[in-house]
Amino acid sequence: MNLFLIVAIPISAFIASFLAKKNLRTLGAIAICASFFELLGTFAVVLSVIQNGTYSLNGYLAVDALGAILMMILAVVGMMASWYSVGYLKIEMEKKIVGISRVRQYFILLHLFILAMFFAIMTTSPIFMWIAIEATTLSTAFLISFYNKPSAIEAAWKYLIINSVGLLLGFFGTFLFLYPTVHSEFTGIISWQTLLLNASALDPFIAKTAFVFVLIGFGTKVGLVPMHTWRPDAYSKAPTPISSLLSGVLLNVAFLAILRFKAVVDIAIGQEFSGDLLIFFGLLSIAVAAFSIFGQKNYKRMLAYSSIEHAGIMSLGFGFGGAGTFAALLHMIYHSLAKSIMFFSAGNIFLKYSSTKIKNIKGLLSVLPITSILFIIGFLVITGIPPFGIFITEFSILAAGIQAHPVAVILALSLLALVFVGFLRHISSMMFGENEKPVTNGEDGLWITFPIILLATFLILLSFYIPTAIQLLLRSAAISY
Amino acid sequence: MISIASQFLFFIETLLFISVIFMHLTRKNFTAIFLYAAQALIISIALFYSSLREASLLLLVVTIITFLVKVVIAPYFFFGLIKKHRLQFSASTYLNGPTTLIILALLTAFSYSYFFQPLTSLAPDDGNALLLAMGMMFISIFLIVNRKGVLSQMIGILSLENAIVSFVYIARLETTAGSQLGILFNILIWIIIATVFASMIYRHFGSLDASAMRHLKEE
Repeated sequence: MNLFLIVAIPISAFIASFLAKKNLRTLGAIAICASFFELLGTFAVVLSVIQNGTYSLNGYLAVDALGAILMMILAVVGMMASWYSVGYLKIEMEKKIVGISRVRQYFILLHLFILAMFFAIMTTSPIFMWIAIEATTLSTAFLISFYNKPSAIEAAWKYLIINSVGLLLGFFGTFLFLYPTVHSEFTGIISWQTLLLNASALDPFIAKTAFVFVLIGFGTKVGLVPMHTWRPDAYSKAPTPISSLLSGVLLNVAFLAILRFKAVVDIAIGQEFSGDLLIFFGLLSIAVAAFSIFGQKNYKRMLAYSSIEHAGIMSLGFGFGGAGTFAALLHMIYHSLAKSIMFFSAGNIFLKYSSTKIKNIKGLLSVLPITSILFIIGFLVITGIPPFGIFITEFSILAAGIQAHPVAVILALSLLALVFVGFLRHISSMMFGENEKPVTNGEDGLWITFPIILLATFLILLSFYIPTAIQLLLRSAAISY
Repeated sequence: MISIASQFLFFIETLLFISVIFMHLTRKNFTAIFLYAAQALIISIALFYSSLREASLLLLVVTIITFLVKVVIAPYFFFGLIKKHRLQFSASTYLNGPTTLIILALLTAFSYSYFFQPLTSLAPDDGNALLLAMGMMFISIFLIVNRKGVLSQMIGILSLENAIVSFVYIARLETTAGSQLGILFNILIWIIIATVFASMIYRHFGSLDASAMRHLKEE
């Protein structure tokens, strides 16, 4: 029943936003209420998963431990993004950057985007998961072109085309995985469970081909190199709350698809094939992201490349397997929270300076003191500085692979050091100095600072204490994948 | 001896394959849309045959919706774009004609190479048709990459989807009617969104040539 409610809430919010008066207060209230109830529903589902292992509705919707983790991330980041959106869009409306019609379109698409992600996590069918992930592309394309500028339209078109091609290849891979089940005269909706049961009947060549297509397909959505090219453009052009959802949540949802197929292919041909592919693409992603971050001129693009880097780190963890999988799952949680902090802070910086270029941002510490501190916290967490959580997860991932893949680990470690230097270079140049254009000092209001403070507090607490319930879910998910 | 059903499937797949080759060769947007509609019609006929063979009403519904979405609605939207923006000829290609033909030959050879032979185990009687569908997939992707026109890119994506559907059909990997309807709904929404974007691109850039979009590079 809770799963049905979680799907029904964004649908209701979508309809309500469509019918509501063109008023930011009403649209914002709908979004915040919907996200709050989604969070409550998610907690109820998570509790059931902790107690029973899985939570399902008629066999069509089901949540396992990994699904529960992702639902929690989606509900928390989704709530903060809804909250932040209200303050962010209010300021943009005051500045006459956007009008109320566009704001309504924003909230309608936001609810559809969240609905598609919840559905992708909960559906038991690989085909419906593909449909839901494709639906995220369709709902976010207009959000990326939100500002209706030529560069935003270009970014959205690039996003639409690259992701559509990628997902079609993933679609092909998905069908290849279905063949033992379909040929066994199975009738009804094919679920992940039936795929796992028939996995041993997969021909090794077809299993490998199918996984390659799935990895390319859903890897495009994850943003793994070389299918990452849409990411920096889309992230830099979309409104920042949407960038935070793309980076903090959608990345994980697409990873879920890869992990579910990985479980099937591992049964068919062993873990080595999928593991080696994930390590290769992971390392390649970290390398490209590290050099791009170092030479970056735009702070939103820098955050986009950081997401590519972290997708690479997770990929390494899943590729190494064992303790690496546990650490990669925990890394997902930390990354989602930290990246949301950074994107929301980047949103505040953009509202103040009206520029995303690093060279135009000077003296941030004196102009936006609270946002600056939050941005620095995000930077320290995201670059894996101790004692924050990402330090532990990166260390655990690399430790898990040092024996079997020492070269990959040493390379990854060197590249992570380069990422830190790159970030430090840009952030220190943004924090200090005198701005050429006069900017009024002070934060733009509680609506756009409080959600970031809450997220930062939560992230710091989670760095030092992981509740037993989350530990249980992580352990259970790590065993299954 | 090759069965009549296998010969028929190979014939159908050959027609689909030829349609995507001609998409590469044509310079007119109108012809590209016509070829796409023909391709979609062939897929609809194959699905119709399947629904009769299975005696399934649900499959018949899927066939009718496939026909409506791909043969009627998609060309309607695309012809609307041509009419609205007076686009007679498609944008040029990145590679010249002879190089394009050489790459088409190489992609076809690649799909028939030793590398993809094991895939024929999915449908041993229709192995050639299956590999031709693989070739059609690669050539559709090349269409998206090689064409500068936004409309050609859209047709390339839909042609890729048709190639996958034909592969799935030959390998008999079709799933339930429900999931097929979900996929068709996605395609319909995709067509609408891509068409809206094409209009937005024309409004902002004054052309439907993807190479005219250079704002991101300049930033």
